[in-house]
Amino acid sequence: MIASLIAATPRRALVLLALLLAALITAPLVLDRYLVSVLILVLWFAYVGQAWNVMMGFAGLLSLGHALYVGLGAYITAGLFVRLGIGPLAGLPVAMAAAVAVGGAIGWLGFRFRIEGVYFALLTIAFAEVTRIAFDHLAWTGGAAGLFLPVSAEASGAWWNLRGGPLLFYYLALGLASGAFVLCAILRHSPLGYRWLAVREDAEAARALGIDVFRARMAAVSISAALTSVGGVFYAFYYNNLFPGQTFDISRSIEMILGPIVGGLGTLFGPILGAFILTPLGEGLIALTEKAGINAPGAKAVFYGACLMAIVTLAPNGLWPALKKRLGIAEEEA
Amino acid sequence: MSALLQVVGVTKRFRGLVAVADVSLDVQHGEIFAVIGPNGAGKTTLFNIIAGVYRPDAGSVSFDGQRIDGQTPEAVCQAGIARTFQIVRPFPALTVFENVLIGALLRATDLAGARAIAGDTLRLLGLWERRNQKASALTLPDRKCLEVARALATAPRLVLLDEVMAGLRPTETDRMVAILRGLNREQGVTILLIEHVMRAVMALAGRIHVLHHGATIAQGTPREVTRDPRVIESYLGTEAPV
Repeated sequence: MIASLIAATPRRALVLLALLLAALITAPLVLDRYLVSVLILVLWFAYVGQAWNVMMGFAGLLSLGHALYVGLGAYITAGLFVRLGIGPLAGLPVAMAAAVAVGGAIGWLGFRFRIEGVYFALLTIAFAEVTRIAFDHLAWTGGAAGLFLPVSAEASGAWWNLRGGPLLFYYLALGLASGAFVLCAILRHSPLGYRWLAVREDAEAARALGIDVFRARMAAVSISAALTSVGGVFYAFYYNNLFPGQTFDISRSIEMILGPIVGGLGTLFGPILGAFILTPLGEGLIALTEKAGINAPGAKAVFYGACLMAIVTLAPNGLWPALKKRLGIAEEEA
Repeated sequence: MSALLQVVGVTKRFRGLVAVADVSLDVQHGEIFAVIGPNGAGKTTLFNIIAGVYRPDAGSVSFDGQRIDGQTPEAVCQAGIARTFQIVRPFPALTVFENVLIGALLRATDLAGARAIAGDTLRLLGLWERRNQKASALTLPDRKCLEVARALATAPRLVLLDEVMAGLRPTETDRMVAILRGLNREQGVTILLIEHVMRAVMALAGRIHVLHHGATIAQGTPREVTRDPRVIESYLGTEAPV
């Protein structure tokens, strides 16, 4: 599978990928702590962007509530760890199962009752908001007052419980982003991946070719939800504190999807490119306003909004298709 | 020997308007069968009933002895009936090759097998040179060919062709006729077509079924049908272009 995928990829693209990976592996050796923290964010957004792209980019399902799966992954593993002492590795399957169950419920409702397009997007927002309010009142995970992971354990070096310093999280984020990239590359070129594209392009025509549209869409939601929940586990153990108002917030859902949109919907490298462009600029803007002593909490949102408008008008297919051509690595079929 | 496709007394109403009224027809294994009639005669509705898009209000559709009316379009396709759309519906952002590959994935056990089928089908329909173009970049005749290629890639036993000749130039029509005839003779694919281009109908069809206002007004061989006074009056005009 991977071998045939590599064989079908232009050599130049492989070389560039290897160089990028090598640069990212060695980056912490030369970068200071702050820049490493920015890179962790970049890789995190590359990862969750990739996960979201499975739904929107591949299967054409617009989810504006992906913070839901981040929140579920974060809260379930953090809750199990804080309350019951169950480590994140053991909690991970529980979190993924829960995300798939909730995603499956949303998908089932949407696809069975033909709630499509923007109405489906509204459904995803509704579920995320309801879950946020529910967690605001759930005492077991601290409610609105928040859930805090024991920071003292961070020094214990229990890496298997995701207790460790920035380097642990950096390489974990790099692993997640690379893993998701490879997984999505495999999915995209699998029979399921082609069925997703058919469903995205024209569901009626897809059905006429014998494709079970419902099943294809459910598969996309399930895979996307499961992957995103893993991003939530990372989020919980990296930040060590969770508040429903932040974790499940719609602004997080929006921030997660900007990268793939700017980079290029449905492309494999779009989410990565988008994260590498937007996150450093957003973080840089925060650092600049702080240094200038300007209190502008909404500056990043305004900046992201401007980026989105620019992309929609100037390059509606995202930046990656154009960049790919410039790099001379446009792939060919057959 | 029972018919491959059996439509018995099928009726479909849309808000009181009868689109198809008590239509019955049998398509035999290996034949080319045409449904003709003026615009609005209910031809495409009949196709949509066979293809599982609509459930008939009365009557039944059987394929190879199995009832298929009321089944989903995907189930009908899986059973072995492929269809094209009158208004072509290629997957616009995908390449020509990917379009056909998706059809081939229905039967192929793996991607390599599907690629081989897609390649063969594209060559058959003369689209191989355009395989890397986006479907949205094709001309209308090529898009019609793509529509047929995609349906054929699902390896159907019966293919429903909805006006695939419309918009083609005479030379392209002849080419399509030759392709369909070859497919029918060499691969034994049964063809049910809706067509206005009488030149193609006459060249291909063994039997013709004429619909008018949703009802059957004639059926038989091309010779019989084109001499039927009711067909001439309602559809062909006073002089049949044979």
